[in-house]
Amino acid sequence: MKTLIKCLAATLALGAPYAAADADYPKRPVAMVIPYGPGGATDISACTIAEPLGNAVGGTLVMVNKTGAGGATGSVSVQNAKPDGYTMLFARVGSHSVSPAMKATLPYTLDDFRFVGVYEINPLACAVQADSDIKSIDDLITAVNAGGVTYSSSGVGSFPHISGAMILKEFGVEKPLEAVTHIPLKGGGAAATAVLNGTATFICTNSSALAGYVANGQMRPLLVTTAEPVTGFDAPTSADLDKPALAQLVGWTGIAGPDDLPDDIAAKWGDWLATATANEEFVEKMEARGSVIRLMDPAESKEFIEGQYETFRKLVDELGMRIEG
Amino acid sequence: MSLFDNFMLGLAVVSNLEAIMALIIGVAVGVVAGAIPGMSATMAVALALPFTFSMQPITGILMLLGVYKGGIFGGSIPAILIKTPGTPASSATVLDGHPMAERGEAGRALTMALYASCTADLISNLALILFAGWLASFALSFGPPEFFTLILFSLTIIAGVSGESLLKGIVSASLGLLLATVGLDLVYGTARFNFGDPNLMGGLNFIAVLIGLFAIPEILSMVWNPHGHEGKVRTLGRKGASFADYKRCFKSIIRGSFIGVILGSIPGIGAAPSAFLSYSEARRKSPNRENFGKGEIEGVAAAEAGNNGVAGATLIPLLALGIPGDVITAIIIGAFMIHGLQPGPLMFVMNADIVYGLFMGLIVSSIALFFIGGAAIRVFKYVADIPRGILFPLVLVLCVYGCFAVNNSMFDVGVMFAMGWVGFLMLQYGVPAAPFLIAFILGPLLEDNFRQAMLMSGSSPAILFRSWITWFFWGLSALTVIAVIRGGMKARADQKLGSSGGM
Repeated sequence: MKTLIKCLAATLALGAPYAAADADYPKRPVAMVIPYGPGGATDISACTIAEPLGNAVGGTLVMVNKTGAGGATGSVSVQNAKPDGYTMLFARVGSHSVSPAMKATLPYTLDDFRFVGVYEINPLACAVQADSDIKSIDDLITAVNAGGVTYSSSGVGSFPHISGAMILKEFGVEKPLEAVTHIPLKGGGAAATAVLNGTATFICTNSSALAGYVANGQMRPLLVTTAEPVTGFDAPTSADLDKPALAQLVGWTGIAGPDDLPDDIAAKWGDWLATATANEEFVEKMEARGSVIRLMDPAESKEFIEGQYETFRKLVDELGMRIEG
Repeated sequence: MSLFDNFMLGLAVVSNLEAIMALIIGVAVGVVAGAIPGMSATMAVALALPFTFSMQPITGILMLLGVYKGGIFGGSIPAILIKTPGTPASSATVLDGHPMAERGEAGRALTMALYASCTADLISNLALILFAGWLASFALSFGPPEFFTLILFSLTIIAGVSGESLLKGIVSASLGLLLATVGLDLVYGTARFNFGDPNLMGGLNFIAVLIGLFAIPEILSMVWNPHGHEGKVRTLGRKGASFADYKRCFKSIIRGSFIGVILGSIPGIGAAPSAFLSYSEARRKSPNRENFGKGEIEGVAAAEAGNNGVAGATLIPLLALGIPGDVITAIIIGAFMIHGLQPGPLMFVMNADIVYGLFMGLIVSSIALFFIGGAAIRVFKYVADIPRGILFPLVLVLCVYGCFAVNNSMFDVGVMFAMGWVGFLMLQYGVPAAPFLIAFILGPLLEDNFRQAMLMSGSSPAILFRSWITWFFWGLSALTVIAVIRGGMKARADQKLGSSGGM
């Protein structure tokens, strides 16, 4: 029955007549679209912030999973929604910096959204199977140059897809896509499994997706891209390796609305995020899963996302990774 | 610490009222959710997840597992009563369960589904407890080439569920394969058959196709011919399945359970293929082969054993390796992590009490399923007595709601109705729906794994023969195809003989 109520609320929220923004926004439940499936990194992050954020908003937030096409289906539904602040999106690195940079025919661009804040950063880690001969990033590069190396990702145009290429390039592999074979799988779980069962040599993805395997001694981390060390990962950081450019290669989650979202509503969301991310219990839960809570205001969020997008776009052009058609 | 000590430790964790209550509530919620068309076991688990955050880890996880198991069984209730699989896993149950209900044997079909589910559930749980380590290392030897040959073999199920005409079965399967290609290409990421519509970028929603194919054609037939069913007996039949029924189906139930355990322990396959494989194997081995698809109780037993056999076994890769095998276990792994637990080999050392507590809880869940499922049958069976004029509009409303709720998308509702007309035409021309569905489920797996294997080997087909597992499935596929061809030739020869004898 809970769903019925949830869904009714969602339907009402979408169907009610357009109301101009005013002081007592929100007057009815806000539909928060999660463009990925239940149990994924975005979903868990969204469900964790739901409670403190709902308290800050002082209204009901209805979590709506709209899955498909690497986050595009859910993103499009918010792009086309009325900019009344009653339909918002959990934007993610995959849907809002990698996909726009790689996919020529994506039905949206960054300009179709107004970001009200990024609240979470996920360090990126590269890892190989624990009994692999590859013990360090240098070993990996040697192996890549010798040939026959593969890496897995959660799909074409996903964050691990571009991360693997960017890291190899940063460590001097001129044409990473020719030197190694990329094996796309369906979903992050399958991508990690591919390394465990020997289908792929290595994977570069959010540290939280690998933390369990590293803790259990099934995988060996080679590096993390943040400047600070990541708990549980006994591997050099981008600062240790003297590759400051890699610090940009991090996952993130933020909240966005359609591009013509009114200023006052966007400002309110900025304040609410600040209140929610100050919640100690929330921070504790997120950090336990390897996330770094870092709130960016709307201007900073936009700058950060566009910076990352530009880096990826340049790389995509250089390596010929663009997906046409 | 000995195994016995571990079990005592586990027992201590589980034997409190809170944990047992959570488990029972979970199973009950799962059965009801599974019984609502469109509300799959996956959705039920996802919805229950937030409620478990504040519980003790073991209590919360047991509740989710209860929802999962209850949901998989619950799906068989509407599959039998109204020809609408409550979850994708119960599609195979429709094939014989619904004809039985039409004959006035709904009670017998439902109780057999329950007995088969509980037996398979118990076997699956025991396999998890006793062979988790061994099965997990077996599962890890499944790379894309092994997967490809397994799926190729599974496609031979089509011959088993085609009914009268193999040709019509193959037409139906081809249609399913074709529709499965809609969406983003795995390797290039380009859109296929989306006609510029972003709604089609993610492919056709599986639940929408499923409901459209099974439930809507029934309703359309009713509208087309409102009095067609009159005179048919369609009451519940007070009788449940007898012990003799259970004994007769026992072999199929055991076979189905083992198929479920093996497919369940390999990440990435899920319960629906297992149910179909178990069903087609039971049909191949049964002396009542001719009766399959027309209301054979052994078919119901095999299908339900196949899908419930998966439920315990999916926890094997989850607990032993930390790998979620399907969407449901991906949600459950989230619950572990929220409580700061890392599933994997170390968990057996660091959190042995929780692991063995789970094992004990799972055994209890099989028993809980037996009683709660029995109670649910007693309540839901009255659905069979509701006149069609009232029942069908209700079913339609549930279908629309369920289909919308999967992804909160009106587009999916449109897909459901479009598929409803396709299903209606197929029904009119005697084209079976089951091969369509199997091809729709297995097609993408076949393609993806083939292409991944080709990427691994640099396009050398030799990789498809790299291990004994691939040879094993190549052999099975070849044997099945030969058996189908020989069966066809024999049928043709008999027919000739029959017609010439008549002259």
